[in-house]
Amino acid sequence: MAAKRYTSMAYASADEMTFGVSKYPVKAGLDLEIGAGYTIPEINYAPRPEAGSSKEKLIKEYQRITTDIMERMVQVGFPAVILETEHVQQMSNNPSWGAEVAHAQKTIMEEYHDEYGIKCALRHTIGDIRENRDFLQLRGDKYSVFLEAFEECAKAGADLLAVESMGGKEVFDYAVLRNDIAGMLYGIGCLGSIDMEMIWSDIAAIAKKTGTVASGDTDCAQANTAMFIGGGLLNKNLAHTLAVLARAISAPRSLVAYECGAVGPGKDCGYENVIIKAITGMPMTQEGKTSTCAHSDVMGNLIMQCCDCWSNESVEYHGEFGGTTVQCWSETLAYDCALMNTALETKNEKVLRDLFMLSDRYRDPQSYVLAYDNAYKVGQAIVKDGDNIYLRAKNAAVECCNIVNEGAAGKLELSRFEAKALADAKAALEVLPDDMDKFMDDCLTKYKSEVKVFLPENYGF
Amino acid sequence: MLDFTEASLKKILTRYNVALEKAMTPEEAAEEIYPKDELIYPIAKAIFEGEEDDVIEGLQAAIDAGKDPIALIDDALMVGMGVVTRLYDEGIIFLPNVMMSADAMLDGIEFCKENSETAPVTKGTVVCHVAEGDVHDIGKNIVTALLRANGYDVVDLGRDVPVDEVINAVIANKPLMVTGTALMTTTMYAFKEVNDKLLEKGYKIPFACGGGAVNQDFVSQFALGVYGEEAADAPKIADAIIAGTTDVATLRDKFHKH
Repeated sequence: MAAKRYTSMAYASADEMTFGVSKYPVKAGLDLEIGAGYTIPEINYAPRPEAGSSKEKLIKEYQRITTDIMERMVQVGFPAVILETEHVQQMSNNPSWGAEVAHAQKTIMEEYHDEYGIKCALRHTIGDIRENRDFLQLRGDKYSVFLEAFEECAKAGADLLAVESMGGKEVFDYAVLRNDIAGMLYGIGCLGSIDMEMIWSDIAAIAKKTGTVASGDTDCAQANTAMFIGGGLLNKNLAHTLAVLARAISAPRSLVAYECGAVGPGKDCGYENVIIKAITGMPMTQEGKTSTCAHSDVMGNLIMQCCDCWSNESVEYHGEFGGTTVQCWSETLAYDCALMNTALETKNEKVLRDLFMLSDRYRDPQSYVLAYDNAYKVGQAIVKDGDNIYLRAKNAAVECCNIVNEGAAGKLELSRFEAKALADAKAALEVLPDDMDKFMDDCLTKYKSEVKVFLPENYGF
Repeated sequence: MLDFTEASLKKILTRYNVALEKAMTPEEAAEEIYPKDELIYPIAKAIFEGEEDDVIEGLQAAIDAGKDPIALIDDALMVGMGVVTRLYDEGIIFLPNVMMSADAMLDGIEFCKENSETAPVTKGTVVCHVAEGDVHDIGKNIVTALLRANGYDVVDLGRDVPVDEVINAVIANKPLMVTGTALMTTTMYAFKEVNDKLLEKGYKIPFACGGGAVNQDFVSQFALGVYGEEAADAPKIADAIIAGTTDVATLRDKFHKH
């Protein structure tokens, strides 16, 4: 289907948004309704490295993981859970492997649902396998296998289909290490959006055919790369003011999935999801303080503010004092959700939302921009030119600069380095053309020459 | 909407990066340590600023004035890059500055080579790769840039590199160490295979590993493994090796932080 662009906001104001409630709840799996007035823990895991050596070992590993989680949820009395299986490459390169894992997991979940009535759903996140050793290979044979992996998993038991796609990453990786804001805009906002439109039209069609849910895509490959390179306050690898610019630009890119038929819940590692929820009204998964098992961030509480599902990002399966890792982390997630759901039931959700938000609001420029009131403003900048993938990405970046500058005039402290990086980025944005064709032509020439792994044919050029 | 007072905010968080920021700007700090020679100074400054064209212009001027192109690699380009890496290590400049300077330095080295018939001598060779099955290479790209910035010759095998290709590169290039990066837990097992095959062939060279899901406990499980938490550890490990610390246990003592 052609992308149906968003040119208006789903919510009339930022204050309308809370956790656990979305404008367009999604029914999925075994009696689950997502974003319908309660939050849901979404546990994610990785098999131990040696489990990947054969299909049988891998399936057995996921059976252990699934049983452990379902057992713990029941033992502590939690009413709902989502399991997210992010494919290891063997499962997407060999779609039958992914399908057999999905089937094995779903069989166990159905047993628990039948016996205890626990509401649950299974998300399978297909690996973006569209590359070879030297280049991205976004179209062609690998793309066919990629789509087959979605379809086979959907038929075998996966309820929610997702991916962290990589379109534009080759240019972005080059640009982000050179403070090149135009390259970041081109990689994420333009190339990423073009690729997203292709894949999400096809994934949504598969979901429709199989009666499953096209849930969404995150800009993990780019915006999270920037966030991780940026690191903590004392790391010296990337100004956090640039990392948040990558995040703002990622929102219109990840939005494309929903413009092509995805309905949510958006995947956990999309920190841009709060902006997308404001635009689409669709439910979103987020991760933060409970994903410290996978990585650090600077907004662990804040990012809970408007989540519908609450995730741990990923944890390797092994033993801990309190059980296996998936038991420990699913229990932690579920207790967080119990608190949010208590706030919802007692009509205190906006108080808790604001406490989450305020505790990290001034911790970093990244958290400041993603505070729900500011995220809403980024959303407004995007839909203002919603029909133009370049202009809306540029608008998001400019609005992000403005928000950080306004914050810095108040209680948001910036280092001199962060302030200079922001000023340089703003100056670079100001000289960019308004004409998308000119920008695209200029960038094609520049990056074809400078980035040896950039193949324009990946994007239909 | 809830908000803090200035006083209450200080009880919740501390922006240590703001509190500890150096008083001097990067440009001022660089100016203090540039070489004073009037032919070398503009080259070093152009390296710091990441301006390739100015680097070439400066090199041409120095060659015209009688300087040996190959000597200029050590005497001008590496000196300029030394300013950059020192300020990076001191936390005064950030990684993108180093990357842009490294690009300019590499252009400069190529220019010097084109203008000479002799080959430059480097500090040593390092073989770098991303683990077999893994295509995430931004970490490896940072490692190679930092190694080159510190005067090492890098054999960059790229990403998703078969184990045997790593071994063959070691046999062909006799590096002082090998680096391996991986993002995923499922691909980092290839490091153990690299380790075992190196030992089988009799190569007891340090194998510096890092990236995404890689951790110190995992790397410590194989005999040649030295864990690097940051990309910037790679040139430091190489420096330690050429300074005489070739024993893996001693390197671990020095670089393992946990």
